[in-house]
Amino acid sequence: MPRSVWKGPFVDRYLLKKAEESQEGKHKGGIKSWSRRSTILPQFVGLTFNVYNGQKFIPVHVTEDMVGHKFGEFSPTRSYYGHGADKKAKRK
Amino acid sequence: MNAPKSDKTHICLGAFAGAHGVKGDAKIKTFTETPKGIADYGPVTTEDGARTFTLSIVKVLSDGFVIARAPELKSREDAQALKAARLYVDRAALPAPDEDEFYLDDLVGLKAFDENGAPLGEVRAVYNFGAGDLLELGDIPDVKGVRLVPFTKEAVPAVDINAGRVTVSRAFLDLEDEPVLKNEDGQLVSNDVDVDLDAMRQEDS
Repeated sequence: MPRSVWKGPFVDRYLLKKAEESQEGKHKGGIKSWSRRSTILPQFVGLTFNVYNGQKFIPVHVTEDMVGHKFGEFSPTRSYYGHGADKKAKRK
Repeated sequence: MNAPKSDKTHICLGAFAGAHGVKGDAKIKTFTETPKGIADYGPVTTEDGARTFTLSIVKVLSDGFVIARAPELKSREDAQALKAARLYVDRAALPAPDEDEFYLDDLVGLKAFDENGAPLGEVRAVYNFGAGDLLELGDIPDVKGVRLVPFTKEAVPAVDINAGRVTVSRAFLDLEDEPVLKNEDGQLVSNDVDVDLDAMRQEDS
């Protein structure tokens, strides 16, 4: 069953506070967060969060497409190294 | 799964997974961006370079597998005998990437330095978990484990493939630990957002 709409999205409160601080220029390297369950809100767009996956912090740069998802979705807990082959990485 | 380690002159694009049918078609596991990409860069060779195959794709299967045909494979037995053989292509056969685009194999192994030239280990892997490309740095002096940095111009201001080095902004390396989930008083913070339920109910009614 989905979460009731009247409750609004769940976000850990300390994350909101850190996001506000980040807008003021703090947390330059990204906001460190253990809150994988928090929902990505529109005011997080453009910020980078370092989301813990139980072992290390995964940088998550928030874009508009990610709003409504949970932080944990972008910080997998299992690793698969895969193959480089002809795959490319783009520096943004 | 152990990834085949491509050297800088040969890139591993896939591996034979067995035979398909009775006419010498082969099932191939591809590691390329798109499964059909394994036939896009000309003939592929085995790891020792002894055999060359000119592949043409017959059918794309799920999970990165394709059915391919090659004139060098005459029978089912030929294809079956090659099971697990890896397929390589010359690095020069890959097209030059666009500006600010880099092949993952080119990035892996680069030495990392900070803005002042101090060593920061080397690039171990490149990931993308859905929130942009990330560089994994290992062997960082005085740091246990690995660190991930976003592959952005802000975090990685310079990439020099020919010189074998990347410049990484030290601010993105997260080298200092912070207290966990605690407020200014050292107490665990509340997990809920402030919601004025009474006001919301009044609006609904």
